[in-house]
Amino acid sequence: MNFSAPFLGLCWKTRLQVVLKIIKHYQEEGQGNEVVQGVLLGLVVDDRLEITNCFPFPQHTEDDADFDEVQYQMEMMRSLRHVNIDHLHVGWYQSTYYGSFVTRALLDSQFSYQHAIEESVVLIYDPIKTAQGSLSLKAYRLTPKLMEVCKEKDFSPEALKKANIAYENMFEEVPIVIKNSYLINVMLWELEKKSAVADRHELLSLASSNHLGKSLQLLMDRVDEMSQDIVKYNTYLRNVSKQQQQKHQYQQRRQQENIQRQSRGEPPLPEEDINKLFKPPQPPPRMESLLIAGQINTYCQNIKEFNAQNLGKLFMAQALQDYNN
Amino acid sequence: MSRFFTTGSDSESESSASGDETAPKAAGGPYSKPLLLSEDEEDTKRVVRSARDKRYEELTNLIRSIRNAMKIRDVSRCLEEFELLGRAWAKAKGVVDREGVPRFYLRILADLEDYLNELWEDKEGKKKMNKNNAKALSSLRQKLRKYNRDYEGQIAAYRQNPEQSDEDEEKSRRDSEGSGSSSGAEDDAGNFLKRRERDEPRSRYKESESEPESESDEDWGDSASESDSESDEDDGKFTSLASKFLKKDEERRGAERRREEKAKKKLERKSRREEEEEEEEGGEWEKVKGGVPLIKEKPKMFAKGTEITVGLVMKKLNEILQARGKKGTDRAAQIELLQHLVAVAHEHQLGVPLELKIKFNIVASLYDYNPNLAAYMKAELWQRCLGCIEELLELLFAHPEIFVGENVLEESENLSNPEQPFRVRGCVLTLVERMDEEFTKIMQNTDPHSQEYVEHLKDEARVCGIIGRLQRYLQAKGSPEELCRVYLLRVLHTYYKFDYAAARRRQVRPRPQVSPGPQVSPGPQVSPGPQVSPDPQEKEKEDEEKEKQEEEEEEEDSEALMERLCRFVYAKDRTDRIRTCAILCHIYHHALHSRWYRARDLMLMSHLQDNIQHADPPVQILYNRTMVQLGICAFRQGLIKDAHNALLDIQSSGRAKELLGQGLLLRSLQERNAEQEKVEKRRQVPFHMHVNLELLECVYLVAAMLLEIPYMAAHEFDARRRMISKQFHHQLRVGERQPLLGPPESMREHVVAASKAMKTGDWRRCHRFVVNEKMNGKVWDLFPEADQVRAMLVRKIQEESLRTYLFTYSSVYDSISMETLAAMFELDLPTVHGIISKMIINEELMASLDQPTATVMMHRTEPTATQNLALQLAEKLGNLVENNERVLDQRQGAYGGYFRDQKDGGYRKGDGYLRRGGFRQERGNY
Repeated sequence: MNFSAPFLGLCWKTRLQVVLKIIKHYQEEGQGNEVVQGVLLGLVVDDRLEITNCFPFPQHTEDDADFDEVQYQMEMMRSLRHVNIDHLHVGWYQSTYYGSFVTRALLDSQFSYQHAIEESVVLIYDPIKTAQGSLSLKAYRLTPKLMEVCKEKDFSPEALKKANIAYENMFEEVPIVIKNSYLINVMLWELEKKSAVADRHELLSLASSNHLGKSLQLLMDRVDEMSQDIVKYNTYLRNVSKQQQQKHQYQQRRQQENIQRQSRGEPPLPEEDINKLFKPPQPPPRMESLLIAGQINTYCQNIKEFNAQNLGKLFMAQALQDYNN
Repeated sequence: MSRFFTTGSDSESESSASGDETAPKAAGGPYSKPLLLSEDEEDTKRVVRSARDKRYEELTNLIRSIRNAMKIRDVSRCLEEFELLGRAWAKAKGVVDREGVPRFYLRILADLEDYLNELWEDKEGKKKMNKNNAKALSSLRQKLRKYNRDYEGQIAAYRQNPEQSDEDEEKSRRDSEGSGSSSGAEDDAGNFLKRRERDEPRSRYKESESEPESESDEDWGDSASESDSESDEDDGKFTSLASKFLKKDEERRGAERRREEKAKKKLERKSRREEEEEEEEGGEWEKVKGGVPLIKEKPKMFAKGTEITVGLVMKKLNEILQARGKKGTDRAAQIELLQHLVAVAHEHQLGVPLELKIKFNIVASLYDYNPNLAAYMKAELWQRCLGCIEELLELLFAHPEIFVGENVLEESENLSNPEQPFRVRGCVLTLVERMDEEFTKIMQNTDPHSQEYVEHLKDEARVCGIIGRLQRYLQAKGSPEELCRVYLLRVLHTYYKFDYAAARRRQVRPRPQVSPGPQVSPGPQVSPGPQVSPDPQEKEKEDEEKEKQEEEEEEEDSEALMERLCRFVYAKDRTDRIRTCAILCHIYHHALHSRWYRARDLMLMSHLQDNIQHADPPVQILYNRTMVQLGICAFRQGLIKDAHNALLDIQSSGRAKELLGQGLLLRSLQERNAEQEKVEKRRQVPFHMHVNLELLECVYLVAAMLLEIPYMAAHEFDARRRMISKQFHHQLRVGERQPLLGPPESMREHVVAASKAMKTGDWRRCHRFVVNEKMNGKVWDLFPEADQVRAMLVRKIQEESLRTYLFTYSSVYDSISMETLAAMFELDLPTVHGIISKMIINEELMASLDQPTATVMMHRTEPTATQNLALQLAEKLGNLVENNERVLDQRQGAYGGYFRDQKDGGYRKGDGYLRRGGFRQERGNY
């Protein structure tokens, strides 16, 4: 059951217990577009990362200072060690609202995790999709390229270009395998036999416009942001070119003057630092637009997926109706 | 006197500035300063003079004001001054340390203590005292007691022997001085002169002051002892060291001499006063020239037996007038004098022209009474002014042969020669204009919610009467320019009043006559119009009309009157301003009386909207008022759109109050300094002319609601929806932000609640929110034709609710019967038919009418919510691509030609997606 992951040669295994805990955490604390977060614990076995346990971050308000959280984590882990549970910090998890997780905050915290613990991973849990009947749990890591860029902390257009980063290769998804002990598997089999089939009918729900509408709305917002970002970038480019022109003119004038002075036998004007005269405009950081692009990409994927499923369902429903008639 | 002046003007005495009880300081003239020299400055100590003199002067001034306050038993004032004195004393500490505590200071302390004790003891008086004074008394007593503790010894010494202690002190000081500085010695002869001179001004001054005798006597005692001591000291100082031992004798001699002198002076003064009373004018006028304030009562102007001629009176008049505007001239007295002169002239029958002339001057000096432009006339003066002007007009009417004009030169005036036509210089019009201004000022400065305001307002009738009479006078004699001015005055007093009489008359008259204007519904007695408190004034006006039966024209409708006056102004006026004002007033008047089309046409024809921003602020305020009235008028006629447009400018700024000149906004002081504030205050419109701001806002909001709600329903999914009224949206948002929504209280809340009801097409609730008891009281009853307005409102609400309902719920229906709709909105079938047809034609509603069954068939071409979103997304993506291409252009110059073609061809069309009507065709292209 091992998948080889493309970059690190690692694979992430999760236990059902972890998944249930995450779901429970969201059910209890998250509503609407609030996100819940927590810590993943586990261990590295060969080329796999096994996530064996997790615990949630406490809900914290704005005025709680950060170190509290760290303290809490340390204590939690110490306590877990006492009861002989794996206490190696291997990443964190986060819930999401309609797939909107590609944000600066996620990038920053994942970067710091990955910077400290190389194997760490972020698990994204989508409660809405799960509620529709299919568990949605995804693991992401930052690509090594992005790690480089983040380390440099240089998000100027040039740096990003040099690093050859595009929205597609910011994150890499890592396959997840959920593995349980045999006893649990047996129990699951038993449960499945007992449970009625009707429990799973939300999979067949045809009401789609709400979800789609929300997704579209979010997508639209991002597109707006993107537009604004581009406009900003555009202005920057215009400014740069304008300045280039000015610089050029200035140099030419200088040259002409110098020639004149030479012909008059005067010493040429002293060289001045052109960069001082013309301060280059501050380039806008491009990371935001990359993230937005990534987010748009995720939305699109989501919508595509969702629509494909729904079309299938609609056709099915039509066929059923025909059959009944 | 002149001999005193010669010494008096010497530099040293001049430098010790006056500190006497001279209320009017420096009564003009070069000699006034030395004349009013203070008696107590020790001005001879040269070394420390500036510092010392300054300090002592300060102290004595304060002491003086304390004494004054003591006299009028104003303890709180005493306390204030005492605190100041304490501070000044602390400042003078340096000087005092060197020289010891001056006597006058000890004296005031002692006196004050006595005084306070006396007051304290006087239980009766204390009870009568007001709170402030009582409080001040106790605190002052405590303070003083504490304070005096430091000087206990000295005060005790002073009490024992006031004179002696003084002398001792002086002596000691003199000693120190004598040894310290051999100050410039002056001969003794000069000393006496000086002393005399010092007494002299006091006596002069005292005499001119008309204080009660007892008080001045008391003062006399005071200052006499004071001056004694001080002049002693003077003597001492001037005498050289050698003569020091002769001092005492000399001093005594001096004192005696002085007393004698004083007695003499007193006598002299008395006699002089008597003399003066009998003196001819010549004697009197000397006084004026001398710069002494012209305060004295003059029981008589002319000596008995003098034959009073025109020339004499004229001379006198000129003399009085010369004092005008000079510092120290008592303006009240001047008015009195002039009044008197009139009486004299009348008595001796010197002819009407002369009386006229003097009366002109009386009114002018009444106006002059307030030196400050911002201050307003006191009620009593104002009444007098009105009376005077009335008399003046009376005279003018009685003697139409007299030519009055401002162009008549002084020289060419003819007051007495009956052979030639009488010519008098003066301009009634200007006086009346000024009177009008004064009236406005009085109204501006009176609290509009007080009884006083009503009292003042009653004078409006008199003002109107005066203007009316002036108008008739000028109609007979005046030039067109003058007529324009007086007409404008008249118009300004007419335009804002609702003509109830005319409205009532129209009601009585048979209907068909009323074609242009709307009929005034015969309902319950209509309540006051947009002006807030026109009630008394209206009554006044009617009264006035009744009174002035002789004025036939008054009886005509104010409409006709306005028409006549304004037409004349339009034709004859040459200054642009009067015409502009007249037009605006005319429009306002039309609008006030619901003659919307005439008002609008006049507004449009005058092209005022284009160039009003070049006018001066008062005219702009008038323009704003007119626009607002126009908007309200349109609303009453049910022309919602026009009403909204007219009111938009005023309301959208959120500064309606300021723009209408009905009050200043509380802004930070940086934005406006005191000067500006004054100017702005002067521009305010008096309260009785105000446009009710709440009514204004309500009308605006309701108009906005009637326009905006259907529009919002129709364009629910548009990304680029434009707001019709920002303010209305703001109110809606405020309403939404409320955590708990109770029943509406304020007018705004009512409108917001009504808007919400309308959004769902529930016209009954909407109606209930807009028209109910509360709103009637606050707003609707303020209209002259309240019932008519309410009926219009109901109808509009029904119609707009129907539209909103169709926009909002058309996607739910396949078809809907018009009869059902008519029943739902309580409209008749043709109206519903009309509204729906209009909507279909305008492509607002995708439907068709099925005639036989009278149903509306929906076409269902409206995109669903998701489709709408998708369309919006498409548009946004289009924008995004466009922006992206621009980036590309930057990089590669004109390389992006391919995309541009696409863009122009494809995405531009995207705009069409948003238009509802166009949707189907667009979809065909997909």
